[in-house]
Amino acid sequence: MNGVVTPPRVLLDALADTVVGQEAVLESLVQALIAGGHIVLEGPPGLAKTLACRALATAVGGSFKRVQFTPDLLPSDIVGTRIFDQRSGEFTTVLGPVFANVLLADEINRAPAKVQSALLEAMQERQVTIGPQTFPLPEPFVVTATMNPLDSEGTYALPLAQMDRFLVKVLVDYPKPDEEERILQRFGGAQPALPENVVSVADVLAWRDQAHAVHLEPRLAKYAVALVAATRAPHDYVERGASPRATLAIAALARARALLDGRDFALPDDVRAAAPDALRHRLAFNYRLLTDHVDPERIVTDLIASVPTP
Amino acid sequence: MDLFAPFVAPAAAQQLVRLHVRQFAMSADPLSLRVGETLRLRIVTRVDENLLELDNVTLPDLSGFESLGDERQCTTAYRGSQCVETMTLTPTLPGDRTIAGATLEAIDARTGRAVQFSSNTVTVHVEGEPVPNYFLQALFDGLIRPFLVLLLVAGVGCAALWGWRRRPKPVAPPPPVAAAPPPPPAPVVPPLRSLVDALAAEPTRANALAVRGELRRSIGAREEETLADLRARKATRGDADLDAALRATEIAAFADDSRLQGAIADAIPPLRRLAGPPAEAVL
Repeated sequence: MNGVVTPPRVLLDALADTVVGQEAVLESLVQALIAGGHIVLEGPPGLAKTLACRALATAVGGSFKRVQFTPDLLPSDIVGTRIFDQRSGEFTTVLGPVFANVLLADEINRAPAKVQSALLEAMQERQVTIGPQTFPLPEPFVVTATMNPLDSEGTYALPLAQMDRFLVKVLVDYPKPDEEERILQRFGGAQPALPENVVSVADVLAWRDQAHAVHLEPRLAKYAVALVAATRAPHDYVERGASPRATLAIAALARARALLDGRDFALPDDVRAAAPDALRHRLAFNYRLLTDHVDPERIVTDLIASVPTP
Repeated sequence: MDLFAPFVAPAAAQQLVRLHVRQFAMSADPLSLRVGETLRLRIVTRVDENLLELDNVTLPDLSGFESLGDERQCTTAYRGSQCVETMTLTPTLPGDRTIAGATLEAIDARTGRAVQFSSNTVTVHVEGEPVPNYFLQALFDGLIRPFLVLLLVAGVGCAALWGWRRRPKPVAPPPPVAAAPPPPPAPVVPPLRSLVDALAAEPTRANALAVRGELRRSIGAREEETLADLRARKATRGDADLDAALRATEIAAFADDSRLQGAIADAIPPLRRLAGPPAEAVL
């Protein structure tokens, strides 16, 4: 390491060269990477969710593993297992794909709860216990998961405890017509190469240190608290509001957004922009939301808009 | 219920309702009135069964009355129902008029036989229309009314005279003095300019926040709007100074203390262009 830290904007530009459109999604990915959190992307099939995660993984020059979550997956397929070696007469530990800087959990809701839970310790504690031994995970360690909201058959809803472990949940929407034309031009022929080693693992760790130093005015901290508190007020459709982890997530993401913008202080815009990604997967809605055909995203937006900015 | 008698039409009995009749009564209110006034005639039926409506009630002969309306209502309670039929009537002839009882045809649930229940009768005393007293009317029109009019005119005159005598005396105008030159009008300094002056004189966070608040207020920013919202407005996009002032004051409001002075220094020029030169320079 030569001491020069590549600015995070470089990574964002490299991702934008690979993934057409979806600027907000890519920004959220990079912000979550800087903030040191895990990411879940939700959107219909064919919207480059997996491509965005793979591009992020290859652009950050660390180790990358991908696991396709299926109903017959076992926890040991994720974290690893102990195997008895007949020649040596001892147990040896085989580490699972979770030991990577970036783990892509593709279609995470297709695996049963016990497999999803196997990720809990890894995501929260950044370590894995296999038999009697505990193994620390490499730094940085980022889980990028994808989910498809349309096919409910053969899927398992992620428990709230696990959803809470994801720093952000990013919604991926259909591209605009002009973006779709560019997609056709770019992906009509040979598959374009993914960005490789655009930044280093050391860069990512340095960004995290810089993000911690980003100034967050006390009034902005109060604003973040007020945003989360708004989700806990009695509401027609919200059964349970967000946890304090959401407040921490908003603050961390606001700092990351400021750093990505080249600032060492956060603004109200940073806090408000961070709120939807940090809140939407942490709210528990009641059954009336379904019966009244209300869009949960609309509720999140309205709750955020109801809080005055500092 | 005054009486009940065996019903005489066995073919119709098959269509009758089986009822435990607890009350079948008729009442009128008022019992004494004049021709042209109205009375309410109520027929109340209480049964043990739950009924939505009660048929087979035959109304009495109401000759000598004109019907103005008829309302039926059944209410069901925990056990049984109460049906009330209310008729609004007006008598057309004076005298004591007896209204015969209403009848209800049903199968008495206690005996299983078709029965005609009869309510009580009601007697109403009807007086003729009042005869006007022409002597008193003539006395009022000829003597009392002119006297009252004269009294009213005299009272108004006295009140006007009393008010005129108590009017304030006119005050003599003061002798003219040499007119002093009027003081120069105080310059009206817009609030934003005075706040920018204060910020320039004392570059503190509090003053920066005051300028930011006034700037937001002056462009009608809503409390939930952030800098990005304000900059996205069409009016803001066309105004470079406003855009720069909004950005600079935002930074001055939220940057850390080490950057505060620099941020305020950056904010002053666009604010000056927006709010005008300092107040002293204008004077």
